[in-house]
Amino acid sequence: MIVRDSVFLALRAITAHRLRSFLTLAGIAVGIAAVILLTSIGEGIHRYMLGEFSQFGTNVIGIAPGKVKVGGGPPSGLPTSVRPLTIEDAMALERVPHVVGAVPTSWGNAEVAFGGRTRRTTVYGVSSAATHVFNMKVRVGQFLPPEEPSQARALVVLGTTLKRELFGAENALGAKVRIGGLQFRVIGVLESKGQFIGIDLDDTAFIPAARALELFNRDGLTEIHLSYQEGAAVAPVVEATRNILAARHGREDFTITTQEEMLRTLSNILDILTMAVAALGSISLLVGSVGIVTIMTIAVTERTNEVGLMVALGSERRTILGLFLGEAVVLAVLGGLMGLAVGLGLAQLLRIVVPALPVQTPLLYAVLAVAVSALIGLAAGVLPAHRASRLDPVEALRAE
Amino acid sequence: MGEAGATAAPQIELQGIERVFHLGDSAVHALAGIDLAIDAGEYLSVMGPSGSGKSTLLNVLGLLDSPSGGRYRLEGRDITTLSAAEQARVRSRRIGFVFQSFHLVPRLTAAENIALPMMLAGIAAAERAPRVEKALADFGLVDRARHKPDELSGGQRQRVAIARATVMQPAMLLADEPTGNLDRATGEEVMRLLEALHEGGVTLIMVTHDQALGDRAHRRIYMEDGAIRRDSGRGAGLGR
Amino acid sequence: MRTRDVFASAFGAAAGNPLRTVLLVLAMAIGVAAVVVLTALGDGARRYVVREFTSLGSNLVIVLPGRTATGGVNPASAITSTPRDLTVEDARAVARAPAALRVAPVVVGTSEMSVGSRLRDTLVLGSTAEFIDIRRFTLAQGRFLPVEDWDRGSPVMVIGAKLRSELFGAEPPLGQFVRIGERRFRVIGVLAASGSGLGMNTDELAIVPVALAQQLFNTNNLFRVLVEARGRAAIPEAKKQATAILRERHGGEEDVTVITQDAILATFDRLLGTLTLGVAGIAAISLAVAGILVMNVMLVSVTQRRAEIGLMKALGGSGGTIRQLFLVEAALLSLAGALAGFALGHVGAWVIRALYPTLPAYPPDWAVLAALGTALVTGVLFGVMPARRAAALDPVLALARR
Repeated sequence: MIVRDSVFLALRAITAHRLRSFLTLAGIAVGIAAVILLTSIGEGIHRYMLGEFSQFGTNVIGIAPGKVKVGGGPPSGLPTSVRPLTIEDAMALERVPHVVGAVPTSWGNAEVAFGGRTRRTTVYGVSSAATHVFNMKVRVGQFLPPEEPSQARALVVLGTTLKRELFGAENALGAKVRIGGLQFRVIGVLESKGQFIGIDLDDTAFIPAARALELFNRDGLTEIHLSYQEGAAVAPVVEATRNILAARHGREDFTITTQEEMLRTLSNILDILTMAVAALGSISLLVGSVGIVTIMTIAVTERTNEVGLMVALGSERRTILGLFLGEAVVLAVLGGLMGLAVGLGLAQLLRIVVPALPVQTPLLYAVLAVAVSALIGLAAGVLPAHRASRLDPVEALRAE
Repeated sequence: MGEAGATAAPQIELQGIERVFHLGDSAVHALAGIDLAIDAGEYLSVMGPSGSGKSTLLNVLGLLDSPSGGRYRLEGRDITTLSAAEQARVRSRRIGFVFQSFHLVPRLTAAENIALPMMLAGIAAAERAPRVEKALADFGLVDRARHKPDELSGGQRQRVAIARATVMQPAMLLADEPTGNLDRATGEEVMRLLEALHEGGVTLIMVTHDQALGDRAHRRIYMEDGAIRRDSGRGAGLGR
Repeated sequence: MRTRDVFASAFGAAAGNPLRTVLLVLAMAIGVAAVVVLTALGDGARRYVVREFTSLGSNLVIVLPGRTATGGVNPASAITSTPRDLTVEDARAVARAPAALRVAPVVVGTSEMSVGSRLRDTLVLGSTAEFIDIRRFTLAQGRFLPVEDWDRGSPVMVIGAKLRSELFGAEPPLGQFVRIGERRFRVIGVLAASGSGLGMNTDELAIVPVALAQQLFNTNNLFRVLVEARGRAAIPEAKKQATAILRERHGGEEDVTVITQDAILATFDRLLGTLTLGVAGIAAISLAVAGILVMNVMLVSVTQRRAEIGLMKALGGSGGTIRQLFLVEAALLSLAGALAGFALGHVGAWVIRALYPTLPAYPPDWAVLAALGTALVTGVLFGVMPARRAAALDPVLALARR
């Protein structure tokens, strides 16, 4: 039988009982709409998260002291009895090919005071390369100048929030603030970086790493951040870094983590979560497919004598199977399309209502949704269609 | 026509056809050793009380039912050994059915019902259209082409059914109580239609319980308890 | 019409079409079962977390060095030091608080340790004798750190189960020496193997006296100070007192963060509770789909039983009776589905418990009731339209042939 004729007959059968067919495909539609909406939200969260993390620049490698075998994961900043990472180590790493900047980092919590006002905040000890590596821009004044670490002057660059809290609208440049009892001169204020998963990135102060070590009374850095050229392969950079540091330390008593790895892990976790949520939505699809089985079973019973007629007219069993199966598939696909439209609509609505969440429906999901609907129709229709094809024509013709 | 034309092989040949139904423990012999030869172009009626096996005979002839024993040759071919697919082809191209309750598909229009056998045979829409047009014209259904069965009278429905049965130009027409659901006048109309088709050369085999209708046929077979009791004879009355 | 007859009629109608009935019941059952299983899972996770947290040592108040004005816990304050350290002295002062039963200072860091030629990077924790009681750990062998002056420390060590097997293999570990840097520590105890608990997994941990750990990591600052309050009621007091003591000692500055375990627990409890609810909600969408199917099938039913309905009306049945009949049918089907789903869901929860014995996957009562209720209501709701259609059928038309 020509496919077009099969489709024609299937559509005729479906439109013969408008309400019934509508309700049947609505069952599938609800399931598909739920899955599409949920996965779109998942995709939105995925992009949001990656975006948040990427604001620090993507071509970044982190080096921490100690070989972390316990618990794995990125360096936690715990103290270690192993040989510390020094500012000199950081400077040595600037020589690694493709490395654009190496920032020795040491951070801690301290009180910053000015003119009677104090604010407890995070203080970062970094170097002049930090603006580049951390994707920061200076709004007023300048960032820390490149200096020999031993001669690093007591200068500080403030984040927007900190500046506002301490100085209000007044000019901060040139002012002297006290950090943890030591005096620092303000030479710059940064542009707002906003929030990162709830943490205010502008509530910070940046001082030279050497001064931070002094402030927090430490021997070694918390971390060294390297940023490498866009487009450069990360593996050779990691390799070179490892070799240089190992040579300096005598052995490999440090851990290197790439931003890529972290993002990949995060991405994987989010993907798994999205799939789990989609699976939840699929429960509705399962019920929807039971709906198709039920309705098709009823249809076969109702049209028993029709099946007998078809056999009398010379139809093969296969054709009868195909006709009923085709009906089930068409129903399911129509339901899938309707669900897709509803799901997309809701996703877009959500995007308007919650602009912060970039809800997005990837094309792949849309295509998959329709494909899955077709499969559901196929699976749900098989048993009733098979029953139809096995009917005895003589009995069938006698049926009412 | 006597012996002179008897050398032509019969179109339909039944030899020792049995059809046994098993109901619970007992076996019912719906057909018990049927021998029957029918030439092309004959007009037969099969009569008998209910339970005599006449409908079963029709079903076997139309390949709707398989015999439990015996042989069935159609146009020289042994049908009983054919595969299901091949039997379907035979039904599609060589056999036409007309039922008592019409069996039209309720959601298809008259034209679409007529086209159904062609659709099943995989014939393209372009080729179907003119044939449907002709069938509608032949059976006086042109202004009813777009109507669904529930918008047609009984007579019109049976005409659609007959048009459908003949659109593939079958060799034989099997009619099971074709006028059973029609009033007298309409029934008369339908009978004349069928007989006109027979005059066109198609073999017409009709099952009926109405003696008057059965007597119109050129050859009359009377069945009882699954066997042929009386056969007015092959070739008898062909010249009538 | 008599109630019993109504039910008998509804039952008969359902039994008259067994396959159809089974499919309808199945559809409802899937929805209910899904909700039951998922809430069992979610609630199991929640109870697991609560249990694990409670096993961390109840009535716990935790002091962390560092604080930001923006409040809350912040990565920077969690790990690092401030210009003013949180010292062992501070911990000792807090121990004098009336609401505090026990206090243990904690220092944590990574280090490389060796036994003979075996080297291993390990997480080293420095604390005092009180630590094991506050954290409710148990020993498999030997004893814990001795009660001694917190400013000194005998060179002894207690190791975790996995560390023991890695460093010592089959040999008895007690009395053996472990080297960290230039120091040697004598193993005096082995911790019992911990399950996959939420708290610190102690299997790869090495515990030494706090003073020695501080020397090892060259820091005066503590990672935490753990305070066990005298009782549940004393927790807020303990928190207040600890904060006050430390503020005073730190020159009027409140540069520490004091949190109660209860607060953390409450957050997790709420989080997991909300999650479970959300998950169940999504699963419950399938109940709506099942409802749609009920409506669909009942509509078909009404069409197919037109003659029957027409007859009933002709025999004097009112529209209300007909409506009632169909509604009861819908309700019975939904009920059957709900009960089947309930049973199925419990089987599912049982399977989860069999696979993951540590997870107390029991469907909470509220979820079960909600699922059953929703199923029933949905079924009846979606049965209304078909019932009304049936009641509105014109008996003459219904009895006439189509």
